[in-house]
Amino acid sequence: MALAPPSPQFVLRGSQSAVNTLHFSCRSKAHSPPLLFSGSLGGLIHVWNLETRRVDTTLDGHAGQSVYWVKTLEGQHLLLSQGRDLKLCLWDLAEGRNAPVDSLSLDSVGFCKGSVLTEGTQGCWLLAVPGKDMDEVQVLDMPSKTSVCTLKPEAGAKVGMPMCLELWKPASSSGPLLLAGYEDGSVILWDVSERSVLSRLACHEEPVMSLDFDSGRARGVSGSSEKVLCVWSLDEQQNLKVCRTQELTNPGIADVAIRPDGKILATAGWDHRIRLFGWKQLKPLAVLDYHSAAVHCVAFSDPGRPGEQLLAGGSKDQRISVWSVYNQT
Amino acid sequence: MAVFDSPQEAFGILRPVCIQLTKTQTVENVERLQSKLHVVSDSALQDLQEYVLFPLRFALKTPGTKRESLVQSIVECITFVLSTTCIKKQDLLQELFSELCLCLSSPNSQQSAPVSEELKLAVVQGLHTLMHSAYGDIILSLYQPCTLPHLGFAISLLLTLAEQEKSKQIKTSALKCLQVLLLQCDCQDHPKLLDDIETKQLGDLLASFLPGISTALTRIITGDFKQGHVIIISALKVFYKTVGFIMADEQLARIPKDKEKPSVEHRIAELMVHRDANWVKNTGDKLAALIEKIVEFVSVHPHWKARMELIELVQDLLMKCRQSLLKSVGHLLKVLVGLVNDENPDVQCRCNNVLKNFADQRIVVESRALTDILSENLHSLATALPRLMSSQDDQGKYSTLLLLLGYLKLLGPKVNFVLHSVAHLHRLSKALIQVLELDVTDVKIVEERRWGPDGLAESSSSLSEPPLFKSKSQRKYFRFFTDERIFLLLREICRMLGYYGDLYLLVDHFTELYNESVIYRKQAAMILNELIAGAAGIEVEVLHETNSRASAEELKEIITSILEEYISQKNWYLVTSNEAEGNREELTMKHSDLQTITSGVHTCHLVPLPSSSELSPIVCSMNSNIWQICIQLEGIGCFAHALGIEFRLLLMSALYPVLEKAGDKTLLISQVATGTMVDICHACAYDSPRDLINHNADYLVNEISLNLHQMSLSSHTPIVLEIMFQNSDAGLLPLVEDVIQDVLFSLDQFHDERAASFLSVLRTVLAALARWFPEAKDDKQLQEQNFRKEKYDLHQGSATLGKGFAFTTPAEEIEQFLLDYLRNKDVADGNVSDADNEEEQPLPPETEMNDVCPDVEASLPVQTQIAKDVMERCIHLLSDKDLKTRLKVLDVLELCVTVLQSHENQLLPMVHRAWLPLVHRLTNDDPLAVLRAFKVLCTLGNKCGDFLRNRFCKDILPKLAVSLATQAPVSARAGPVYSHTLAFKLQLAVLQGLGSLCKKLDLGGGDLNKVADACLIYLSAKQPMKLQEAARSVFLHLMKVDPDTTWFILNELHCPLLYEPPHPSLHPVSLSGMAKPRTEYTDNVLLLLAELQG
Repeated sequence: MALAPPSPQFVLRGSQSAVNTLHFSCRSKAHSPPLLFSGSLGGLIHVWNLETRRVDTTLDGHAGQSVYWVKTLEGQHLLLSQGRDLKLCLWDLAEGRNAPVDSLSLDSVGFCKGSVLTEGTQGCWLLAVPGKDMDEVQVLDMPSKTSVCTLKPEAGAKVGMPMCLELWKPASSSGPLLLAGYEDGSVILWDVSERSVLSRLACHEEPVMSLDFDSGRARGVSGSSEKVLCVWSLDEQQNLKVCRTQELTNPGIADVAIRPDGKILATAGWDHRIRLFGWKQLKPLAVLDYHSAAVHCVAFSDPGRPGEQLLAGGSKDQRISVWSVYNQT
Repeated sequence: MAVFDSPQEAFGILRPVCIQLTKTQTVENVERLQSKLHVVSDSALQDLQEYVLFPLRFALKTPGTKRESLVQSIVECITFVLSTTCIKKQDLLQELFSELCLCLSSPNSQQSAPVSEELKLAVVQGLHTLMHSAYGDIILSLYQPCTLPHLGFAISLLLTLAEQEKSKQIKTSALKCLQVLLLQCDCQDHPKLLDDIETKQLGDLLASFLPGISTALTRIITGDFKQGHVIIISALKVFYKTVGFIMADEQLARIPKDKEKPSVEHRIAELMVHRDANWVKNTGDKLAALIEKIVEFVSVHPHWKARMELIELVQDLLMKCRQSLLKSVGHLLKVLVGLVNDENPDVQCRCNNVLKNFADQRIVVESRALTDILSENLHSLATALPRLMSSQDDQGKYSTLLLLLGYLKLLGPKVNFVLHSVAHLHRLSKALIQVLELDVTDVKIVEERRWGPDGLAESSSSLSEPPLFKSKSQRKYFRFFTDERIFLLLREICRMLGYYGDLYLLVDHFTELYNESVIYRKQAAMILNELIAGAAGIEVEVLHETNSRASAEELKEIITSILEEYISQKNWYLVTSNEAEGNREELTMKHSDLQTITSGVHTCHLVPLPSSSELSPIVCSMNSNIWQICIQLEGIGCFAHALGIEFRLLLMSALYPVLEKAGDKTLLISQVATGTMVDICHACAYDSPRDLINHNADYLVNEISLNLHQMSLSSHTPIVLEIMFQNSDAGLLPLVEDVIQDVLFSLDQFHDERAASFLSVLRTVLAALARWFPEAKDDKQLQEQNFRKEKYDLHQGSATLGKGFAFTTPAEEIEQFLLDYLRNKDVADGNVSDADNEEEQPLPPETEMNDVCPDVEASLPVQTQIAKDVMERCIHLLSDKDLKTRLKVLDVLELCVTVLQSHENQLLPMVHRAWLPLVHRLTNDDPLAVLRAFKVLCTLGNKCGDFLRNRFCKDILPKLAVSLATQAPVSARAGPVYSHTLAFKLQLAVLQGLGSLCKKLDLGGGDLNKVADACLIYLSAKQPMKLQEAARSVFLHLMKVDPDTTWFILNELHCPLLYEPPHPSLHPVSLSGMAKPRTEYTDNVLLLLAELQG
């Protein structure tokens, strides 16, 4: 097993400040090239053309304030971006437009990224964002911006601020569910329609930095600022249970991402490294050592043709490394 | 001359001569008759035709031997009559015909009579005229079954003449006459066209003679090479007219199955043939043999008109007799195929037209039979090709390949029938690969090296006027042929294959061969390149448009896969020189440096490879590798042209490898790679290679950075980085920032093995930074300069004051002068508590060091940060054990100082730290290092000024002075060779630099004295001129710093004037140089004093 560590397929340079968040958009339209969106500390959103490996467009809508979440809505030209200027911008990128069409004021000053759930009906989607009160999560119906509910843990819970959110809808259940990681290291499963806590799992000592959930296997993973990666599962009674923890060499997980095919888990480490695990057994597969500063985010491309799934990591060193790993299955 | 119009008058005139001729048959009488005929009008003669002809025919028929001259004149006379009249009676025509023929027959043998050439000519012309003078249908009376024997006789007579005579004139006339006799005359005198039935009858009749005519004509055509093209042309014409008439598909189609009942007597009927299917087949077979002979002979005939006529033959026969001559179609097409690339443009053009004509009429592509024949021919050619390629000489190869090309052109898209047969594809590719084998024995290609980075910089800047795409190709030498035309032909063949053939199949096949063996690799790559060019339609002449060509998308896919193959590790990084990277370079570098130092002549750099035969296999394989890379590079250029602007996307992977090779040490590779870059520029619409690199720096940076992370592969990376920096502008900086950090990181990790190459990268980086940010000389610097200038002016003022005081002596001025003097003296002694100088006082370096806190660093411009980081490394590497590394470090250090000059807060602490190792370089190191270090010192003095003053005076000046002093007697004694030694160079550099250094460092009295003392000896006339000059320059600088002291020092050595004190109360001035005789120093001192006074 003395394989040389792989090197990135290519590296995107030119974001000119630390990269906070990444999002792939590879299967939108037949004629448009695969894109990678990146949000940077400098407040710019770069749209990378993965064919030419160059910036196609630069979007400036957060008044120079750090952008920490970008997300496209599938099948549409809509792009969401969340910035430290307490705004969530909605961009329409069709026909090369590059100005925000709408924006939503946020009340939270935290770093909690939003989460989106596309409903069945065309054009309607749910958005979860941190709410006005410190421990609140607000769920909105978009694009009407009407508030669906506010999820607030009971008074004595002392979970602190929400740190990361994941909206999803199980095949069996009727209502959408929300997974939220909190400052005190616990993960709470919310029933959005009932506005009730279904389960609470205290899996970390430190704030939960990031979580991802594989709804197919009903398993999720969370990373915190400590040395441990925690994998938990959800049973039929909607209870969260820790099923395994993984000790890491260095503390600090900024981001976790499960590949859409459910085979690989990637973590972004403060130790400058991206780590890959087999998602099933959490078997450590590789350490991708390229960056020269903390890695802030990892993202997998939406499954295009098999064998062409990309992994991207964005780092404080202002580079985005793009990897093609474990593709030949 | 009077003309007699009426028959009566004419009769009156002609009658006497006719009677006389009848009575006595002499030449004179015939001539007399002929002369009279001239004065008779045509119409009158027509009336008297038979009358006039009678005596002439009578004379011919008279039994007994006649004199030839008489016969000849009679024939000529008859010819004359016939030429102006026409024959309206069948029997007259027949009689005249046989009478004329008889003139040439000897009564007792089959052979033509041994008569004179003149007579033969006359008879042939007579016959010719006779045929033309027959009126209307009359002529057909000659072509009846019953006249068959006569006709046969005449035909054989003419053929014999054409074949056996010596005279060209007779031969051609006979052939022309034969053509007329066969009713195939192409002159305008035959208005009446035969109707179908007549045509058929005539065909039936003449068919009897076809075997004879065709064989005889073939003999004529394929006879003597020297017989001249005119005869061949005529014979060819008769041949194809005859064959084309008798074998015409149109006629044959209407031949009834059964033979008609003969209407003539039995003997004659036996002569007649019936052109039924059987006959057609037999005749066709026999003709095929003849046609093959003719084609083979004439298609290589040296005269183009003969070849041209052959094309006519092919055209005529293919148009008329495709079915009847089925067996010959192959041969006939082969002619076109072979001649389509004829060296004569007219032939080529005509052939092309004919082919186009066939193509237009869909004769080839549509008609299965012809396609079959063509592919069959191509099949057999492909089969024979490997054998032919190895056995034929250049000319033979040329014509074989021409033929191949022709088939490809003619078959067009149908060529795939042949390609889809595995066996034939193998044959074809084997032949191509075999014949394209390169000659790799040339040692020069391996030996020729590119030197230094300058060469590339030059070439890439000169490429702003890019050469033409076509001229780029480096001449290749092949093992199996020398003719350049063959190579061009092969290229065209490959392109044609690429254009028409199944590209996927071909590319697959040749890629397989490419990977199969090193032996095939170069040829396969060459073929692949041309296939792609052909598929893209570059310089392809085509007959058929094809719609089965690869689409742009497919082409791109194919090119991407070939490109991947080309630049893969195993095919791109081949051994091209027998030295370990850097090792030998170092050696030769040293070698050449030493040479420069010792001899001063920049002689040959080459350390020739041991040129013995035992090494040649290695040389061959290196040569082969070099060619391999070159071909692949050419391929990349070719792909760029094939894809055009679309290729830009492939630059992502292609540009880096090309640049790598552009920096290769092997001259040829580097040249070809540069050519490839030009190609890419043309194809992708970049103005110049510089533009290309500049626009794609991000792709390059990506590759470079990835390679730096994988140290094992990156031996070429520094080169590419260097080239990129040489060709880019400041816009590159944000992109490469992290790469430079990578370099520094790698340097830290691997400074043992790779220091040399990384240092050269760093030098390039800093040189680029210095070039990109020349504005580094900011306001502060300028202010400081102004300030110094003022100060300098002040000094100047005091100096002039000092000189002037001898004449005007107000007491205050003297007082002022003394005060100034005292203060200057203070300054010079290093006692700098003066308020004036306080602002210039450098802070103690320790506090500076502490000043550099992280947040200040963050705000530094990128270039400054880089320079600082690099300088940091330089400080460490200054004491490297390898001399070459030290030299490079010194270079880099100098550049760092230049870049950092405007950031004193960064620069000074770094200089402080660099000082100690630098002093070591200056004081005890190899002379080369001392030389380089002194240069750095000069730059440092320039940029840091008085920050260094104390250090310089303390650490360096004493040793410098000592070394100058000890070296002086050596140089004074030395001969002319001395100026080539390192010692001399060192002296010179020190003397040249010292002056301005003193000025920049603002040295004071005591130190200036030291400098002056050390340099004074060099004012001696015994020193080499250059050193004297340099020493003078030191003093010129000193004058600017402290004119008075300098004046004094010079005068101490030699004083040309006597100074009278202006007042008796003052002591007389006494200088030790006064009243001295002329010494070795006199000249230079006088020069300098003159300068000082002026």
